Amino acid sequence: MVDVFSGDLAWYFAGPALGLLIVGLFALVNQPLGASGAYVQTASMAKRRSGVVTWRVWYFIGIFVGGSLVTGVLGSTAEFRPGYNALTDVFPLPVVVLMVFAGATLLGYGAAVAGGCTSGHGMCGTAQRSPASVTVTATFMATAIATTFVLRLLTGGEL
Amino acid sequence: MKLNTIGLLFGIGFGGVLASFDLHEYDTIHAMLRLDEFRVYFFMASAIAVSAPLLWWLEVRKTNTPFGGQLRLSQSKPQRHHVQGGALFGVGWAIAGTCPAPALVMVSSGAWLGLVAMAGIFLGLQLREMQQATPDHVGDGEHREINLEVKA
Repeated sequence: MVDVFSGDLAWYFAGPALGLLIVGLFALVNQPLGASGAYVQTASMAKRRSGVVTWRVWYFIGIFVGGSLVTGVLGSTAEFRPGYNALTDVFPLPVVVLMVFAGATLLGYGAAVAGGCTSGHGMCGTAQRSPASVTVTATFMATAIATTFVLRLLTGGEL
Repeated sequence: MKLNTIGLLFGIGFGGVLASFDLHEYDTIHAMLRLDEFRVYFFMASAIAVSAPLLWWLEVRKTNTPFGGQLRLSQSKPQRHHVQGGALFGVGWAIAGTCPAPALVMVSSGAWLGLVAMAGIFLGLQLREMQQATPDHVGDGEHREINLEVKA
């Protein structure tokens, strides 16, 4: 029995499923399945700007709905909690809040400068054989692994 | 089917896959970047292995998409901002242990620190926008939304 909704889905099911979603969105809309653009459009809608790409806002809502469906409705892993288990084991909560906020601000800014994030460049861009996306992906993988290594050293191997 | 419905359905599918694979959990991303676990790398590689040949095939056939005209893949050349943005993104990704779509799923699973992550992502995107007279780099790998809304 394949356990689909506990978070342990095998990569050889989950990966190809994501691949087919990427292809499906290109085949219908000629657009990548990226997430940072959806944040931008949602923020633009909140600011009541003109020219908002409305379907990206629905897509943004959909990601939330899909997550709730799998963790809370079909599965049972959803519960009210802080999250960040491995990080809260090492640091007190206020420090975790600061780290998460600072890290997220940095990655949001970086995604805007690069023109995409893990989904837009990392998945959809490389699948399009875009040299720019391959460059972005190789760069963020390298700096992310290096940063994790540094954090590990700074915490004496705890993190 | 309307474009907004397609957006909603693909969002549900994407969020559902991320949740099914625990990508909304800090621990998953952290274990991946610590090189303790390789399942996320296999996940990403298999998604690309499935989508890349199919996209190539659709492109070669000059497929007409119902909502976006003829399928056109982006293959832009790397520029300085790709390396700079990618480098900053990687550092932030490692510290926050999440990225834009997983942060949204994190909140949907009840982890309230996901809201802190989402607030940071919104702020980071906004900071970049404020730096530029015309925000040109913000997009999903490539900025190509403009023509679509006219057709929709």
